[in-house]
Amino acid sequence: MNSGMNNGALLSGKGLSKQYGDLKVVKDVSVSVKAGEFVCLVGKSGCGKTTLLSLLSGLERPNDGQVMLDGKDITKATEDELALFRRKNVGFIFQSFNLIPTLSAWENVALPLFPMAMTEQERKRRALELLEKMELGHRTEHLPSALSGGEKQRVAIARALINHPKVIFADEPTGNLDSATGDAIMAILNRLHKEEGVGILMVTHEVELAKTVDRLIRMQDGEVIL
Amino acid sequence: MSLHYLLNELYYQRRRTLAAIVGLSIGIALLIVLNALSSAYRQAARAPLAEIGADVTVQRPGDVPKDLAGVVFPCSAVTIRDDQVKKISGLPGVRGIGKAVLLWVFDPNRAWIVLGVEQQNNVGPAVLRSAVTDGRFLEEGKSEALVEVGYARQFNIKVGDSITIAKNTFPVVGLLDASRAAKIAVGNVYIPLTEAQKMAASSAGVQSVSPFNPADINLLFIKADQEQITGLAASLKTIVDKKATIGTPDSFLKLLGSLFALSDKFTMAASLIAIIVAVLIAFKTMAGNIAERAREIGVLKAVGWTNRNVVSQLLAESVIQCFLAGVLGLVIAIVAAYGLSFMRVNIPIPWDMAPTPHFLPGGGDQIFKTLRLPVHIPFMLACFGILLSVVIGGVTGALLGRSISKIKPSEVLRHE
Repeated sequence: MNSGMNNGALLSGKGLSKQYGDLKVVKDVSVSVKAGEFVCLVGKSGCGKTTLLSLLSGLERPNDGQVMLDGKDITKATEDELALFRRKNVGFIFQSFNLIPTLSAWENVALPLFPMAMTEQERKRRALELLEKMELGHRTEHLPSALSGGEKQRVAIARALINHPKVIFADEPTGNLDSATGDAIMAILNRLHKEEGVGILMVTHEVELAKTVDRLIRMQDGEVIL
Repeated sequence: MSLHYLLNELYYQRRRTLAAIVGLSIGIALLIVLNALSSAYRQAARAPLAEIGADVTVQRPGDVPKDLAGVVFPCSAVTIRDDQVKKISGLPGVRGIGKAVLLWVFDPNRAWIVLGVEQQNNVGPAVLRSAVTDGRFLEEGKSEALVEVGYARQFNIKVGDSITIAKNTFPVVGLLDASRAAKIAVGNVYIPLTEAQKMAASSAGVQSVSPFNPADINLLFIKADQEQITGLAASLKTIVDKKATIGTPDSFLKLLGSLFALSDKFTMAASLIAIIVAVLIAFKTMAGNIAERAREIGVLKAVGWTNRNVVSQLLAESVIQCFLAGVLGLVIAIVAAYGLSFMRVNIPIPWDMAPTPHFLPGGGDQIFKTLRLPVHIPFMLACFGILLSVVIGGVTGALLGRSISKIKPSEVLRHE
């Protein structure tokens, strides 16, 4: 079953399949996200939504199918081309934040900029700007261990935005947070989508969270259902 | 590569960083100390010869004199012909020659160990001029004598006295402190070489054992290129006698009997084992550290770090850790070398190089040259130790970095 294919899409996956050994995790799925669109991929645990997100973001290669991001077929790119492509076009937000424990908040935000030729001051300026937007201007020098769950996720959102990505992939971004903090994070994502025009593809198993998004895609047993 | 990230990683993971640094530094310290010890023993083994300004000594053994009366040769040092000496001076690697004649003189009331020396030569016993404690050293063209200070005290001989040896009378112009002198090529009395050669040539006791012409000698000292000493020793046996006693730093080193002195192979093998063990410790610690960071590497790759970026970062971390290990290893080695430099080493002098007849009091005793072990760390060895650490860091970092950079971010970032 396919859903949401659109020729004018910023991101589109066509006929995507992924299997680990004999287990088919994603089965001939086609999805798309328009520029500036907030799409939510919902489904029960183990239905293949995180794998689909990995395929669409270039973290994983499909066994079959094609992923086009901003007009480029990323399934044919080499690993290093993919990394560079992610650096320029994609931001990630993970359920467990995935901050580097030995780096301060601003350094975590600036992490995608480290391999790029720019001064330390420029990196820091950009990171601090984003942390201010996330209302974390007072926590810039703190290590992740000194931050609350909500603060960690806001640092992770700032990191996802540092390279002005065209699309952000969010994998259960509120999964490790209490409901109030989760709501706050969702508010930030909605604000980003509306104010910055960033496309967002969010994976969640909580249908409630999908109320405010532009479009909902449901998954079950590796397939998209209408 | 981010220096800030690198330093943070080393600082915040300091327990692992320290474990890797200490593990490798011990190996590097062992490598440096073992080589410094080996070098110190080699240097110590050169001391008995270096004190008489030579790198090689040559003696030819012969028969025991029939009668211990008048002028005789010790059986360990009989004639080396003048033509042989000339041939030796032309050998490759020979940079200087020193000649001497060692005689035992049994006068009716006294026994003398007489050494005929060249007055002006920086190779051979003439270097003992610095051991003169009273009076002066022998002068060119004069028939005079120096007396060893202990012997002079025993027989009440003073500067200005005359002594008669085998019916030859010499004015005593100086006293010489043998305890400050070398342990080989020493005597009770020192006279000009030509006088000793005349004495030997005119002695029936000498001629009956070993024909001797006035230009011949029985002790030869050679200053030689260090690299050519082994080859030179073989050539000397061919020219002088296959039974000739050739004293070289190597021959003294063998007498030391220390494991470090036995062979370069031992030092090399021990150094290699030390380094392999240290590398394994460092490798295991760093591998553990990097394996624990699989998720972190996954994050780096997800946010756009290429494999090369990841490898560069891990390589730099590894090189910095190993560089610090090298520096720490060097510091440990310097402290250990300082401690070891208080060790004393006794270098046995072979009986055939000792000048005193074995039948005289104390003559049969083993003579030792005792000195502090000259342990020091040469600049090049220190540089090698640090360079080796950095290379180990580079190889370890590159191997581990390449291995870990192949992980798929999606596998390590998948949430619980």
